[in-house]
Amino acid sequence: MSMIETDKLTKVFKGNVRAVDGVDFEVKEGEIFGFLGPNGAGKTTTIKMLNTLIAPTSGSAKVAGYDIEKQATDVRATIGYVAQDVGVDEHSTGKENLTLYGHFYHLNKATINQRIKEIFELVDLVGYEKKMVKTYSGGMRKRLDLAMGLIHNPKLVFMDEPTTGLDPQTRAKIWEYIRKMTSELGITIFLTTHYLEEADQLCNRVAIIDLGKIIATGTPSDLKSAIGGDVITLSPDKGDEATRPQFIADVQKVLEGESFAQRIQPAEEELAVYVNNAKTAAPAIMRILADKGIDVETLTISHPSLDDVFLKYTGKTIRHQEGKESSFTDIARRSEREK
Amino acid sequence: MTYFMSDTWYQIVRHVRTDIRIPVWLFVNIVQPMLWLLLFTQIFKSTMEAQGVNYVQHFSPAVIVMTVMFGSVWSGMGLLMDIEKGVLSKMLATPVSRMSIILARVTGSMVMLIVQALIIFGIALILGLNIATGVPGVIYTLFLITLLGFGFAGLSCGLALLFRRQETLIAVINFIALPVMFLTSSFVPSRFLPRWIDTIRQLNPVEYAISGVRSVVTDSWIWDDQWKALLVLSLWMLAGIAFGTLMFRKRGEN
Repeated sequence: MSMIETDKLTKVFKGNVRAVDGVDFEVKEGEIFGFLGPNGAGKTTTIKMLNTLIAPTSGSAKVAGYDIEKQATDVRATIGYVAQDVGVDEHSTGKENLTLYGHFYHLNKATINQRIKEIFELVDLVGYEKKMVKTYSGGMRKRLDLAMGLIHNPKLVFMDEPTTGLDPQTRAKIWEYIRKMTSELGITIFLTTHYLEEADQLCNRVAIIDLGKIIATGTPSDLKSAIGGDVITLSPDKGDEATRPQFIADVQKVLEGESFAQRIQPAEEELAVYVNNAKTAAPAIMRILADKGIDVETLTISHPSLDDVFLKYTGKTIRHQEGKESSFTDIARRSEREK
Repeated sequence: MTYFMSDTWYQIVRHVRTDIRIPVWLFVNIVQPMLWLLLFTQIFKSTMEAQGVNYVQHFSPAVIVMTVMFGSVWSGMGLLMDIEKGVLSKMLATPVSRMSIILARVTGSMVMLIVQALIIFGIALILGLNIATGVPGVIYTLFLITLLGFGFAGLSCGLALLFRRQETLIAVINFIALPVMFLTSSFVPSRFLPRWIDTIRQLNPVEYAISGVRSVVTDSWIWDDQWKALLVLSLWMLAGIAFGTLMFRKRGEN
C-alpha cells in the first residue's frame, strides 16, 4: 500500500516563485523515505502541503489514502509532524505537553498516560516527565518534540530536517529512534534533509529535489551505482579564487578525450572525474597535468556519494549550496525559468 | 462540535497554568491595580472632593475596567510567541479545532482578570466603596468586563496576526491603549471634560463599560443606562472575536 502519493503537486508563492513545481512521487508503507536537497529546494513546502498546513496551488496528493484538501481532518488524525523548529511549550512540563497533544487527538486519559509511558521510554526521557521543558537541554527538547508527534500512534510521521543544528551525539540518537519507529512500531517516515550522510544511512529510498523539481528517485545505492566506478576530485590552490575557473576549464580541456575519463563534471570549486578504476587513473591524471604545467593542490579519491548524484543532475554540489545563502539565487533562477 | 468544547477547555487550562507559573507576572498583576487605586485616589482625592465628587466611588469602577483592558489587550503577544516558537504550526498539524485556538487564548486571559477585578473590589471596599446593588452588582460587573475583555483580546490576536511582529504589535497597542483610556470619564467626571473629549467618549466601548459598572456600583439598576452598555459591549465582543478569528483563518495557517 502506498502511504503518500502525489500527482503534479505544485505550490507557487507570491511573485510567481515556484517553490514546488509539479512533483510526483510515492512513499510505500513502512519505509523511510528521504527528500534530499539544498536549502530552498522546496522540501519544507512539500511537507507543509502534505500535512495540510498550506494548500497546494495545483495538483493533488493522498496521504494514508486521504485527500490532503478534501479530507484534511482525516489526514491530521493519521499523521505525526516533527517540524524543524522545536514546537514545545517551555512553560509546561514534558508530560503536560504530551497530554495536551493527546487531547488534541481525542484520546482518553488512560490511553494518554499509557502512551506517555511508552514514548518517554522510547526517547530516553524517563524521569523528566514532571520537569519543566525550559530546564531541558536542546537535545532533550528535540526528543520531546519527536515524542509529541508519536502520542497518537500515527501511521506516518513527517520530519522536517530532524537533525539540523544538533550535535553529533544527539544526531546519532535521533537516527536510532527513527530506525526504531519503523522497525518496532511500523511507522512510515517521510523526512527531509540536506545531509547526504543522513539520506544515505537512514533512508530506504530518496528523492533528490532541487529548485522545486524532483531530479532523481531511487535507493541510495541504486542512485550511486548509476554513477559507477570511482570519483577523482581535483582542486586548485585554495588561496587563489580568481584562477579557479581557469584551472577548472584547463583541466577539463586536457583530460577530455582521455580513455579513462568516463565523464568529467566541473563544479564551482572543483572538478570531478568519474573513472572505472582510480588506482590506475590517478597517476595518469597527475602525469598529464604535470606535463601541461598545471598545479593541483589536492586530489581526492572516493566512491560516488549522493552528492555526486546531485552534481550529475544539477551541476552543483549540495555541500557548496549549504555554505552560502542559496535562497536568493534559487528564487532568481526559478523566476528566470518561469519566464 | 463536542471536540470544539474539549479542545478549547484543554487549551484554556494550558494558558492559565503557564500564566500563574510565572511568579513575577502573578505579583505584578495583583499589585498593579492596588497601586493604581491607592495612588490615583491619593492624587485626586482633595481636588475632586472639593468639587463634591466621592473619588473612591468614582474611580474604583474605572480601575476595574482599565485593568481588564490592559490585561486583555496583550493577548496577541502570547499568540505571536507561539507562532515564533513553532508551537502553533505544530498544533495546526493535529486535528485540533481551529476556532478553539483563538477562543481559548481570549478566555484564558479573562480568567486572571476576573480574579483581579474581585481583588480590586475588595481593596475598594476597604477604602470605603459602597456597592449600591450588592453581590448581584458585582456579578453583573464581571459579566460586563468579560464582554469588554473578549473584544480587546480578539482585537489583539487579530492585530498580532496582521503584523506578525512583536515590536510592531507593542507599538500599535501602546498607541491605541493610552488614548482609549484617557478618552473616557475614568479619571474625572464627564462634566469636567472638554466638549470634544466628551463627544469622543461616547463612541468609546471602554466608556460604556465604565459607566455601566459605575451606575450599578453608585446608583442602582437603571436599565435605561444598562441596555446601552450591554448592546455596545456585546457588539464590541463579537467584532473583536470575529476579527481575531478571521485573521487567524487568513494568516494563521502557514
